[in-house]
Amino acid sequence: MSALLVRAEGLGKSYPKVYRSRDRLRALGRLLLNGANPDSIGVLRDIDLEVRRGESLGLIGENGAGKSTLLKLITGVLTPSTGRVTVNGEIGALLELGAGFHPEYTGRDNVAMSAALHGLGAAQLRERLPQIIEFADIGQYIDEPVKHYSSGMIVRLGFAVVAALKPDLLITDEVLAVGDESFQKKCVKWMQDYLEGGGTLLLVSHSMYHIQKLCRRACWLRGGEIVMQGDVFDVTQAYLAYHEKKSAPAVSSDTNVTAGLEFSVSAVELNGQDSETPLMLQWGDAVRVATRIRSRDGRTPSLAIGIVRVDGTPVYGVTTDMDGTAPTRLSDHEYACELEFEALALLPGSYTVRVHSMDPEGVRLFDTVERTFIVRGTSRESGLVRLPHRWNGAHAVDGAA
Amino acid sequence: MRAAAMPSGLLIHRFVGRELRNRFAGSIWGGFWALFQPLLQLAIMSFVFMRVFNARVPGLDAASYAPFLAVALWPWTAFADGVLRATTSIQENAALIGKVAVPRELLVLSSVAASFLIHIAGFVAVVVVLALLGTGIRLTGLLPALLLYVPLVALVAGLALICASLQVFVRDLSQALGQLLPLLLYCAPVFYDRMQVPPAYRSLFELNPFTFYAETFRAILLGHGTFDGGRLLVACVVAVGVLLVGHVLFRRLKPHFEDFL
Repeated sequence: MSALLVRAEGLGKSYPKVYRSRDRLRALGRLLLNGANPDSIGVLRDIDLEVRRGESLGLIGENGAGKSTLLKLITGVLTPSTGRVTVNGEIGALLELGAGFHPEYTGRDNVAMSAALHGLGAAQLRERLPQIIEFADIGQYIDEPVKHYSSGMIVRLGFAVVAALKPDLLITDEVLAVGDESFQKKCVKWMQDYLEGGGTLLLVSHSMYHIQKLCRRACWLRGGEIVMQGDVFDVTQAYLAYHEKKSAPAVSSDTNVTAGLEFSVSAVELNGQDSETPLMLQWGDAVRVATRIRSRDGRTPSLAIGIVRVDGTPVYGVTTDMDGTAPTRLSDHEYACELEFEALALLPGSYTVRVHSMDPEGVRLFDTVERTFIVRGTSRESGLVRLPHRWNGAHAVDGAA
Repeated sequence: MRAAAMPSGLLIHRFVGRELRNRFAGSIWGGFWALFQPLLQLAIMSFVFMRVFNARVPGLDAASYAPFLAVALWPWTAFADGVLRATTSIQENAALIGKVAVPRELLVLSSVAASFLIHIAGFVAVVVVLALLGTGIRLTGLLPALLLYVPLVALVAGLALICASLQVFVRDLSQALGQLLPLLLYCAPVFYDRMQVPPAYRSLFELNPFTFYAETFRAILLGHGTFDGGRLLVACVVAVGVLLVGHVLFRRLKPHFEDFL
């Protein structure tokens, strides 16, 4: 591939331990005398990272894993404690909320300030201002003080400024999470165009959907260290599996509670696989959700099964009750049933299957078990599912796939 | 953003403009306060010293006290305001520092610049008005007086860089300065003439960095006392020295600001 845009070698950051005011004075003395500050808490250790021009890298990890700190080191907002980071290009960064906007000033003033901070001249700003205002799309609020903005509006404006800069490297930290649906789409679309135009992206997000949609590579941080980096699907899959494992002990310690439920889900298998690591599928594969339900008093339970995208958007849900069926009785207290989707029309991405046990009337919900599966692929269709379709009055174009 | 490591003219312009607007944001009278506050102080001081204490500066009549005080008080206000406001400039911009790679110096220096712009404007206005009222101020001294602001600005910029970087670590500094600066004012020949001080203490006044400025502004604008080229040289050396110390200290500490903000 092409030139190296960001290179971090042995990068580390630690914050000084300052609990009392006296510690601050001592830290100041140390800094003045020898420049070292031994009493510190490490938040990042030994990060080696390379981003090449035209690449898109997603940073994932739990809260406090050091993702934002790493971005701040790359943008130069923070100074590394160890190692070094070099950047060969213009960075446009949107770190957390606000992007350094001053609450007392209007959106327009803040855009001017922000543009100047990014090295944009007065003439360039004048030229791009209409474009920024149009992208932010916050109406008359552009002339209101930023303190009256909602968090979504702040992000809209911040993103609009960064988008107008067309930087070599775009860094965004959880920006998409705050915007509404239409703005998220607009941003995702913009980032896709930007990437196609040769831009480079560094994205922090807790939405695996966005990470998979926008990034080719991913890097997983845990406790300030890189756990894994590589292909986005491999890394996100491992990350999701880790999360499931993490929440698993909590579930197993609940067995007494679930045993006490009138109807509990005792087993769920996806295509015969009962482990909690996500199941990998290709588009159009069949999915069978095999379940077992325990019924405490022997009554026949009903069952609800739903599919949600990893970001929580519901895709489809159905109950045995609705379809006029009921689970098969295996023994006094055991019931089983399987739901099969013959050819799953879901587009590539991560999805969660939720199995709920319910009372025979299909009214009360007693227990929930989740399983994850990932539909792999690189389809450029948008949305959740591929709907059966055909183009009428159109003709095939040569060379088109 | 990397480009911001070398602040452009536009960036400096924007920062100073923003700093000026920050000072008066939300106040109806805006810049009027910058002029009004020292004017009021001038009126009160003149009244207290002239009418209440019945004090007299040797060689000056009662009517000359106002210009005597004004030409030293305005530069003092710029000095004190410049140091005090710049001290908290890094701390107050913590939100910006945490999100954008702004050149840190810019925050301190634009604060100093804003203070001086406001108070030099007030100074010029008051000097011109007093001269037109025929109080013995020589308008020909206005240009040299403005040149005297150059070492004063350098001195304040140096002090500001020192105080602003220390303030990040030791928050008591701005509190202490609030007490220390009035002390420095009363220990400088601003309200009185150094000749009124008992001879044993007179030379101690040279230790106060503002003594030179108070006396030289008077010499230039009122012909009160004599202008001493040697002392000007010393003041320039001190100003450049303080600025250098400030620059070195600031550069040493600025990578760690974010950790302590």
